[in-house]
Amino acid sequence: MFKKAWIKYVMLTLAVILGTLATTTTGAAAATKEPHYVITTDTTYPPFELQDKNGQYVGIDIDILKAIAKREHFTYKLVPISFNSGAQAVLSGQFDAIMAGMAITPARKLVYDFGTPYYKTGVIAAIAKNSKIKSLNDLRGKTVALKTGTGAAAYALSIQKQYGFKVTYFNDSNTMYNDVALGNTVATFEDEPVMKYAIQNGVKLKILTKPANSGYYGFGVKKGHNQELIAKFNAGFAAIKKDGTYDKIVAKYIGAKESTFAGSAAVNNSIWGLLKQNKNQFLAGIGQTLMLTILGIILATIFGVIIGILAIVPNKFSHGFASTIIYIFRGLPLLVLAFFIYIGIPSLTGHKFSALLAGLITLMLNEGAYIAAFVAGGLKSVDNGQMEAARSLGLSYWKAMRKVVMPQGIKLMVPSFVNQFIITLKDTSILSAIGIIELTQTGTVIISRNSQGFRVWFLVAMMYLIMITLLTFLAKWADKKFGNN
Amino acid sequence: MATKVKVTDLHKSYGDNEVLKGINLEVQENEVVVMIGPSGSGKSTFLRTLNKLEEPTAGSIAIDGIDLTAKETNLNKVRENIGMVFQHFNLFPHLTVLENVTLAPVELGKLTKDEANELGRQLLAQVGLADKADAKPTQLSGGQKQRVAIARALAMKPSIMLFDEPTSALDPEMVGEVLKVMRDLAEDGMTMIVVTHEMGFAKQVADRVVFFADGYIREEGTPDAVFNNPQDPRAQDFLNKVLNV
Ligand SMILES: Nc1ncnc2c1ncn2[C@@H]1O[C@H](COP(=O)(O)OP(=O)(O)OP(=O)(O)O)[C@@H](O)[C@H]1O
Ligand SMILES: [Mg+2]
Repeated sequence: MFKKAWIKYVMLTLAVILGTLATTTTGAAAATKEPHYVITTDTTYPPFELQDKNGQYVGIDIDILKAIAKREHFTYKLVPISFNSGAQAVLSGQFDAIMAGMAITPARKLVYDFGTPYYKTGVIAAIAKNSKIKSLNDLRGKTVALKTGTGAAAYALSIQKQYGFKVTYFNDSNTMYNDVALGNTVATFEDEPVMKYAIQNGVKLKILTKPANSGYYGFGVKKGHNQELIAKFNAGFAAIKKDGTYDKIVAKYIGAKESTFAGSAAVNNSIWGLLKQNKNQFLAGIGQTLMLTILGIILATIFGVIIGILAIVPNKFSHGFASTIIYIFRGLPLLVLAFFIYIGIPSLTGHKFSALLAGLITLMLNEGAYIAAFVAGGLKSVDNGQMEAARSLGLSYWKAMRKVVMPQGIKLMVPSFVNQFIITLKDTSILSAIGIIELTQTGTVIISRNSQGFRVWFLVAMMYLIMITLLTFLAKWADKKFGNN
Repeated sequence: MATKVKVTDLHKSYGDNEVLKGINLEVQENEVVVMIGPSGSGKSTFLRTLNKLEEPTAGSIAIDGIDLTAKETNLNKVRENIGMVFQHFNLFPHLTVLENVTLAPVELGKLTKDEANELGRQLLAQVGLADKADAKPTQLSGGQKQRVAIARALAMKPSIMLFDEPTSALDPEMVGEVLKVMRDLAEDGMTMIVVTHEMGFAKQVADRVVFFADGYIREEGTPDAVFNNPQDPRAQDFLNKVLNV
């Protein structure tokens, strides 16, 4: 009886959480009288967007947006997510606008409407400090690092033929800089202010070329949508340009020293210091990771058990249905599935939903397909004589399944289940791509501020190992307590 | 005497392989029928069609006058009345011996848990295993397992019992204890259909012996008639081999 109450409780909690997740986006908007928007920005694009040492988002973009919103009386929720995903999500209707150092290009103008250009920029090439490369001509045959979806990347591709280099892609600036600094790739193309800021703050690169392909950054919305927001942005921008607020914001970031935002060198040079300073962010990241893992595995188990049973029921239709589901969701890479659900489905249906909900659905389908496969395998491996003996006593198929076959099959599944639990925990890191700030994304964000790649990744790795160890213990304990043995 | 089982022109095929080629058989209340025959002749298949573990291809089966091949028949209800004992016991390994016996009557709402436990202990005593109620099946010998399986079938208070080679998987010294339980059942008037190679049991206990070969019933009669004066050449050949080793 205790067992049943426990299951009911979990199901109830789950229903409440999912319900809340599904309604949060709309709920927040309804609460205020001022117009409310959801605006995306990049996670790592200093000095335009970065987190300060307290984990608050700051930067030229962020401060401009804040100043304009205040003047023009609108409120907004800022969603930091990788630039490329954010840019697509605006087009799919997930977000109202993007403020992420987005260069205004002819191609983008076809699908976005931009506000007044707010920052002049140009693309430069940068190389490692100790590099022997003298000009773009030396890049021939070598590999260059680009950030996915940026104007700088587009520029690099436009001259790729001329200079004969190869390219590789990154989603995050800091990882890309490190790659060049370490010599894995020989150069990168980046917007000038961004590169200058990074170098000033300790990234071991130097600038190779003069700014090329000069252009402007713009505040973008999906073409034909949110026109009143563009109008507000333009009015506000004109005002802050006039009264000097704009210049103050730019001056505050261009020329700022590393320690202003990232904390002192003493802190950054010790693991303990990093851990202490970023304690709250790490805890929040761990919280998200655990939440995704635990809710994800519960949903995946429910989904997987249902599909797994459908796969073994002696009925051609249900069998075919279950095998197809397993085939599709086991075959799709988790990242593709996550993007499809988060960006693809809202563009089809016009309904937005939170990244968290998209992430949970992704886990449910993908991990659930694996669970379904081993549930079906486990049940099939129970000797057929067990079902026959139960049926010969007069038990119905489902009763025989529940009372005789499943208890034996589940025992066989326990090791696979613990394994899937650990895989799910690790897989949550992939969901950082749709902008969930779980532990991996937390690491990326912290590094974008302090450039302490090695130390921060070391900390993140340790945290994953500790979580996996604890979850394994928990799973073993639960098996002892709730299993039959 | 009432007719318990009436099988008419029963056919069963697996794909192109016709295993039962037109079986007719009637079994009366309290009767013990022993089925013998060479391996692969279709004895198990026939027995398993009687409670519809196998779907017949053609023909009809009536148990206590209820037509098993009719669509509207509730098979689960019919099966409650037909106990089955398997060659490999098929005890439920995740349950204790007593739980194996009480599972069906409790799950099907025949008895309360307490009533079922009482009946279970009584049946275990009847098969000589009162002290094993709380053991797990893996802790039992083969002969003990098969006696538990018989008690499990009896817990549903069936009026017919089917046995498919209940002693073939046992070490020789354990065969006797199982046959004794079966003999007691027969003496209590249980209607039984038994597939076995135990000719001694057939001679002592059977009211009738049925000889299967190639998907047909080739010979049928009292044990004395079939064993001592078989008419069918296949039966003569088979009995020669099994009786004279
Ligand atoms: N599920 C099945 N699918 C296909 N063929 C089957 C199946 N079950 C039995 N058969 C075939 O039916 C025939 C009869 O098998 P059955 O088990 O009824 O024989 P039997 O008389 O019980 O033999 P034994 O003494 O070896 O138990 C055999 O040829 C067997 O291969
Ligand atoms: Mg057989």
